[in-house]
Amino acid sequence: MKPIRRRFPWAFLAKRVAYGALAMLVIAIINFFLLKLAPGDAAEALAGQAGTADPVYIAQLRAQFGLDQPLLSQLWAFVVRLATLDLGYSYVFNERVSVLIFSRMPATLMLMGAAIVIAVIGGIVFGVTAARYANRWPDRVISFVALLLYGTPPYWIGLMMILIFAVTLGWTPTSGMENVLAFNTGWDRVVDIAHHLILPALAQSIFYLAIYIRLVRAGMLEVLSLDFIRVARAKGISERRLSYRHALRNAVLPLVTVVGTNVGNFLGGAVLTETVFSWPGVGRLMFDAMFQRDLNLLLSILVLSSFFVIVANLVVDLLYAIINPTVELK
Amino acid sequence: MANPILQVENLQICVRKKPGVLILRGVSFHVNAGETLAIVGESGCGKSMTSLAIMGLLPDAVEKLSGTIRFKGRELPIADNRAMRKVRAAEIGMVFQEPMAALDPLYPVGKQVLEVIEEHEKLPREMAWARVIDLLTKVDLPNPETLAWSYPHKLSGGQLQRVVIAMALACNPDVLIADEPTTALDVTVQAQIMRLLKRLQRDTGVAIVLITHNLGLVAHTADRVMVMYAGNKAEEAPTRDLFLSPRHPYTRGLLDATPNPERASAQGGVLREIPGTVPSIADPMSGCRFAPRCGNASELCRARFPEPTIEGAHGYACHHPGTDARV
Repeated sequence: MKPIRRRFPWAFLAKRVAYGALAMLVIAIINFFLLKLAPGDAAEALAGQAGTADPVYIAQLRAQFGLDQPLLSQLWAFVVRLATLDLGYSYVFNERVSVLIFSRMPATLMLMGAAIVIAVIGGIVFGVTAARYANRWPDRVISFVALLLYGTPPYWIGLMMILIFAVTLGWTPTSGMENVLAFNTGWDRVVDIAHHLILPALAQSIFYLAIYIRLVRAGMLEVLSLDFIRVARAKGISERRLSYRHALRNAVLPLVTVVGTNVGNFLGGAVLTETVFSWPGVGRLMFDAMFQRDLNLLLSILVLSSFFVIVANLVVDLLYAIINPTVELK
Repeated sequence: MANPILQVENLQICVRKKPGVLILRGVSFHVNAGETLAIVGESGCGKSMTSLAIMGLLPDAVEKLSGTIRFKGRELPIADNRAMRKVRAAEIGMVFQEPMAALDPLYPVGKQVLEVIEEHEKLPREMAWARVIDLLTKVDLPNPETLAWSYPHKLSGGQLQRVVIAMALACNPDVLIADEPTTALDVTVQAQIMRLLKRLQRDTGVAIVLITHNLGLVAHTADRVMVMYAGNKAEEAPTRDLFLSPRHPYTRGLLDATPNPERASAQGGVLREIPGTVPSIADPMSGCRFAPRCGNASELCRARFPEPTIEGAHGYACHHPGTDARV
């Protein structure tokens, strides 16, 4: 028995990559103008830090950063830099922007990945359980807790978790990504980072966990009422197999779509979580860049974020076609 | 009497926790090995509920109140889902009404047939797959090796129903319940599917319970017919007897309402309908449930439910059975 393989949709991929590049360009330009609308710039911020308001010094800084150029030539310079994959230099942090971002990126990706995995797996397990015991006590408990989590602000959950698990119980560290002073290497370091990761990942996932539970439960209930489930039941298949093999795979399709669109939200949420938990990721870098008026750094992060969201959506579409054979990618 | 393989006795099904609201009001019948029993009646008469009860697939909203269902002499534990899993498909197969919705859209059709075999028999994968191809060949599907890997949305309604039939017969059950197997299909495809079912019956000796409201289909395929009305058995007879000398006025009404060129002139070219509507299942009437719609109904009909009368193979539940033979 050999399945018939479907061809990889190269044409679809090429088209989407082209659209994605265009979308990134538009996003970059819009962000550029949006950020220019905000008062103040890096020169003022730096001068302020240096404790001076000397107009000559500020003008000198502006000339150095290219901030004295007309707006359109600044935009052109920015787009050209993007096109050549050169993100420029941050005068505020005195470091190349690419180095700054990529040194922070792994931390954010790890946090995001862990949060998404927790939300998706938890959503599926609890959602399926709730649907299988619809309107009985396991469903009632799960649905109530999901509603509660859905309605609670994530930063408050983060602070409470620090208070309970880190401060009172002492199970986890309060903040940071690893115990730098321990100079852990190899496996010890992995365990240490995982230990630090638990709370922020949980805090960031909880809101989405609540959404996914409700989504999976509703999807399961709908699919379980369809004809083919009754037919499958008439085949003598166990309820567990029915739930996970037939119902869940059908019910998970909307979840895949929603997770794809949520990737951007996870990135945005990282600002909050990373601040609360002092997680050294891109989110906090973005926060700092905003306060320092380091527009170039900020823009670079935003463009990179749009890149991740676009890639995530592309991956979701490809994944969707794998899960659902009735979808043809053109 | 021939050897009854399936025996339903005084089956009563009610809305859960409401024993007064009866969907089946005490139905008894049997199915002999290898024969075709047709169950006919209008929507809501309880014919589908009967078949779901036999499979142990009653919806959560209803429950069995009393009665027994025996398969090969032993009682089926229809409320025990775990125990019934071993009966479903292995001993009693079922084909449903809507082939387009009967298969999981996300798996190739061959895999869904394979699933039945893997559930009930310990077979090496390769042998089970060979059986799947063999089954698909037997239900007359073209290029079974390729078609087995097709997804349901690529197949036509008729092809899908063939796959569903292959699925229902995959483990050689003794009884096949076909719940309106052709209702959703084109007329030409209907005839093909019924011919296929009859041929498979000859080859395997499976007994078929054909649930339908299409009397034309019944005339060509069934050995015996049971007519149901509002949760009761109205009449039961060998097919020929039922069509030639129906005794219950409801059966006669059904036959009159069936297009028939030969009889059309006798009726002045119009189809006669049965006046009125079916009583609500919650209606606690004590008499015959057909009485309000029956031209011959008397005080007796309205007061007391008619006990079944048996005349050889022909049985009916009516105080004033019709006697004239028909065209």
